[in-house]
Amino acid sequence: MSNTNTSLQALVKNMETIIRGKSQEIKYVIAALLARGHILLEDNPGAGKTVLAKTLAQSISEAAGDLHRPGGGVAFRRIQFTPDLLPMDLIGSHIFDEAHKDFVFKKGPLFTHVLLADEINRASPKVQSALLECMAENQISVGDTTMPLDKFFFTIATQNPIEMEGTYPLPAAQLDRFFMKISLGYVNEETEFDIYTNYLTIGNVRETVKQVLHYQDIINLQQEAENVYIHPELVKGIVRLVRATRQHPEIALGCSTRGGITFIKCLKAWALVNDRDFVIEDDLLALAQPVIHHRLIFRNRDAARTVLTQLAEQEVNKLAAMGIQPKR
Amino acid sequence: MSTDAPYRFRQLIFLQVLVVLPTAAIGYVTLLWINMSFTAFNTSVWAQGLFFTTGLTLAYALYFFRARWLVSFLILGLVYYFLSQIISWLPGEFDLFYATTRFQLFSTLFLLGWLFGLLLVRLTLGYIWVTVLLFIITLINISDTTDLSYTYLLTRLLPLLMYALYLFFLTPQLSQSTEWTWKKAGRLSLRVGLFVLLVLFSFFITERLLRGQRKVVEKELSARGAKNDKDKSQDGYDDRHGLMENTDDGLRLKDTMRITSRMSQSDKLMFCAKLNNYDEKRQPIPLYFVFHYLTRYDPAKETFTRDVNVPSLDEIQVDPTEVPLYYSYTDTSIFRKAMGDKYRTVIEANVYLSENTWKHSVLGPSSVFAIQTIPVEKDFQKTFLSAYKIYTYASELNNAYFVYNISANPVLETIQKQRYDELRNIRDYHRVNADFLEYYTRTPTGGIYDSIAQLAKGLVKDKARPLDKVLAVRDFFLQRDELGKRVFRYTLKPGAVDDPNIPSSKMLYDFLFKTRAGYCTYYAGASHFMLRALGVPTRFTTGFATIDRSDKNKGWYWFYASQAHAWTQVYFPDYGWMDFDMTIGNEDQQEAPRPDGTPPLPPPDPWLVLNAIADRVDHPGKSLDATFRDLIFHNTPHELTSPITLNIDASLCRIVFNEHDTTFSAIQPGDSLIVVSYKDDAKKVPLPRAGVGIDQQVQNFPRPLPADEIHIHRKEEKKESDSTRVKQKAKPPTDWLAIGQVAAIIVLVFVVLVMLSPGLYLFYLMGRVKMSAMPARADWIYRAALYRLHMAGIFRDQETPLQYARQKVDPSLGLTFTSFMNTYLRMKYSVKPVDSGEQDEMNAFHDKVGPALRKTLGFIRIFGNYFRLWRAYLYFQQPSHTESEISSL
Repeated sequence: MSNTNTSLQALVKNMETIIRGKSQEIKYVIAALLARGHILLEDNPGAGKTVLAKTLAQSISEAAGDLHRPGGGVAFRRIQFTPDLLPMDLIGSHIFDEAHKDFVFKKGPLFTHVLLADEINRASPKVQSALLECMAENQISVGDTTMPLDKFFFTIATQNPIEMEGTYPLPAAQLDRFFMKISLGYVNEETEFDIYTNYLTIGNVRETVKQVLHYQDIINLQQEAENVYIHPELVKGIVRLVRATRQHPEIALGCSTRGGITFIKCLKAWALVNDRDFVIEDDLLALAQPVIHHRLIFRNRDAARTVLTQLAEQEVNKLAAMGIQPKR
Repeated sequence: MSTDAPYRFRQLIFLQVLVVLPTAAIGYVTLLWINMSFTAFNTSVWAQGLFFTTGLTLAYALYFFRARWLVSFLILGLVYYFLSQIISWLPGEFDLFYATTRFQLFSTLFLLGWLFGLLLVRLTLGYIWVTVLLFIITLINISDTTDLSYTYLLTRLLPLLMYALYLFFLTPQLSQSTEWTWKKAGRLSLRVGLFVLLVLFSFFITERLLRGQRKVVEKELSARGAKNDKDKSQDGYDDRHGLMENTDDGLRLKDTMRITSRMSQSDKLMFCAKLNNYDEKRQPIPLYFVFHYLTRYDPAKETFTRDVNVPSLDEIQVDPTEVPLYYSYTDTSIFRKAMGDKYRTVIEANVYLSENTWKHSVLGPSSVFAIQTIPVEKDFQKTFLSAYKIYTYASELNNAYFVYNISANPVLETIQKQRYDELRNIRDYHRVNADFLEYYTRTPTGGIYDSIAQLAKGLVKDKARPLDKVLAVRDFFLQRDELGKRVFRYTLKPGAVDDPNIPSSKMLYDFLFKTRAGYCTYYAGASHFMLRALGVPTRFTTGFATIDRSDKNKGWYWFYASQAHAWTQVYFPDYGWMDFDMTIGNEDQQEAPRPDGTPPLPPPDPWLVLNAIADRVDHPGKSLDATFRDLIFHNTPHELTSPITLNIDASLCRIVFNEHDTTFSAIQPGDSLIVVSYKDDAKKVPLPRAGVGIDQQVQNFPRPLPADEIHIHRKEEKKESDSTRVKQKAKPPTDWLAIGQVAAIIVLVFVVLVMLSPGLYLFYLMGRVKMSAMPARADWIYRAALYRLHMAGIFRDQETPLQYARQKVDPSLGLTFTSFMNTYLRMKYSVKPVDSGEQDEMNAFHDKVGPALRKTLGFIRIFGNYFRLWRAYLYFQQPSHTESEISSL
């Protein structure tokens, strides 16, 4: 455990050298990965989404099978979503093989470990749902054949909060498939200065990212995240929080049960990322916003900004005042 | 919050028990007290409390289920209207009055209860409003009380204070609980019970500690009361001892009060009175006129004096000269203080005074409860200086004819016998209040008083009933010797005393055992001591004997100085005080009947009396503009919402200044006037009707307004009378200082407890740390640390404790709070045990908090911080802080 954990910390550190000043967001991304989920980044262009995804892929050393790439790191694919993109552009298609006089399946870019789905809201709903199905089921169905994706399949989707014209915003049901939705945002002044001074070095490092983890490590860590201990009182707190979102007058659509399960998965992974094998009350506050917020529909903007945090703070305060309780 | 019906219903039941029940109880207690000073006919406190409680409970339940208040008030108003309409159809004038009064009272109480219910349910701080209202009612009630004592104050204020504390404690608990289960209610009830016990205990302790203080306060109270009395007589307000002596030919009332050997008398007319008291055959029933009750006897000076603290004194405490013309003063507490309700009736009397000496106090038959000043008709002003009308709560069993009867008149004897038969129903005084009984049977001991008591006891022997004892004493004075001659004689010159100015201690003894001759004071004084020695409550009464001399003017009585009298009143439970005059008739001297004068005409009934100030006076035109606000319209006093100016026609008017007629030119702008109008043509003005405000009716008054009488009060005089009025208002010894002292002590104890509470809580936490073992101990260390850091001014706003430790505490104090928190959280949320090394670290952290805080802040500041109540409050408020914010969104 400790050695995998050191490699996990190494991964975080590795990514922090490239993506400066965003350690919290990097941890979110890794937590989503370890929870076997996918993440949605909502950001302006140029905030470092692609670099983030690429560095993640490069930091993990090769896997077996046909996904191996000579460039180092696990397979990384990037798809720029456009309105004219078709599902077959993602999943691949049957091509007639002259030599064998037969149709063979040409695998599309989905057959990868780390997928960067850029500007996902620009593609047609058909394409979006094809991608989301793959994310949910971890398999691809073409015609009458069903092909499994690799165990390590991690999607980083992005969408642009501005320029909403000609886009197909993701419906709530599909947003629900993403474990987390975060925003990288701009860095602070000092970090920005640091980036501008050292952009050359950073660029060079990017070319030669060290591979700190093995493919198998990720699989192990995902397994380990599931074994993180969560105290029953915390689960009760989560139940209260989730129910509170459903009953709150300012929230039109509350968190689903699936959302709650996802929240627990993410909490466990988050504890692991933070080098713990148990969940604490702070984690609830840290993850409420990225995991739950995009699942809710608010009645007004003010509520959207404040209500969820307040509910989480209230719950954390209750837990903090609770005192030591027996464990089951 | 869940909203299903059974759940809400359950909540309502809890609230009814926890909030409504105590409120109803406190309302009942308040009503009980109010009923002691105000009497409403034939309504029991139970019924009143029932109406109040019904209103309260109904309103609480209705508004709890979110009834619309506007709609509910409309319905209430309709119900009230219809009920009052139905009542107005009742037959019989008396029944109507009776029913209306009761209806008004009950509906007011019901509405008051309703209002309280509404306040309690709907307003967040409704309980504060309710408490404040109750306090105001109680304070108004207390301010009416004349016999104020520490115990009285405590019993009045304590229930309210308890109630206030109770609600202050309960309400936050109620607002915090959002879930209502039986289990929770049980826990809450336990808490409330403990709280009530605690409060009771603390009050008990305080009372114990203050017992010494209490005696001091009571002593001061009575001393102050006596001083007040002295002040009054110095003002000349009530100079009943000194003033009489100045008039050489007048009555020396002092004589009737002090037992001296001689009594001066004269034929001077003191006053005349019309008593509206007749039997079925329209024969007038005269009554003795009481001046004062002398309830205290000073054995050193052999003087009867008025006392300051008299239990249940049924004497109206008002100076008639302070009551403006046509206005009235009523004290309904007299009904209660008369201490008897059998054979009681209300009698009216008009009293016309011809002497200035009497004008500051009320003369009338026993138990006067209301007085109204009236003017004297012009033709009689030479004889009579002032007049007033009194209403008396008199006993039908009293009658000047047979108060003491020696003439053998068979008719009177029959009535007398009936009276005795009635009074003989009273067997003893076991139902009478012990303090009252003790006060009115108090006698000095030793010397002659013992021999008087022995004499009295020898007279009654086997007689047990109070009436028989009284009759035995009477018969003692009536006894005749073997020759048929009276043993006791009436004389104005008892003699046998060398110096009449120095009262001898032997006078009474001599009167009873040797000379057996004296005037009224001797008889009254002797019977007073004899009856008291027999355990019969008796009081020495001064006033005027009423003699019916003429059939010409029935009901009119004339009082001359020689009729000044002293007699005794004896108390009979249920019947009240009865006149018993023991004085022997004067056999030697046949009093020459003095002529009765012509009775003064009763003044016509004015339709309008204005209490106005002259603005512009037109002397040639005999008219003036007057601004007024107070007025009496058809015998009902009114006050306008804003002052109004009217032109007054005084061409045919009588102008009175200083009780003498004058001319119109005497009126100056700025004078204060009482304008009276009798004119018939003004009666075209519509009579007062329900629903028509007095402000509207004033608009219909004729312009210019014809005046018949104008009484002038000069500004200087007004000021003077104002100042005396102020003094008079201070008369009931409502001792605000004493109230303040008691309240201050209670508040002080409370404040000190509250001020100490933050420190006490720390003490508690540290104690828990010391007492508990490890897993729990970590909790207490954690809590103590959070509390100490908060009180030191390092606030955890909305951070989690871990963030707080990492970002705020450790950087500023150099503590190891973060590592403690990590271990603590591991203990709290992880399955892996914490080893002993880590436990030691946690203990070490606990020991480090204090030094670290002292190093950065200094001991003084830390100590001072524990008196910051608001800061401590915020600490406990923290978790629910966001909750309330959210619910207010």
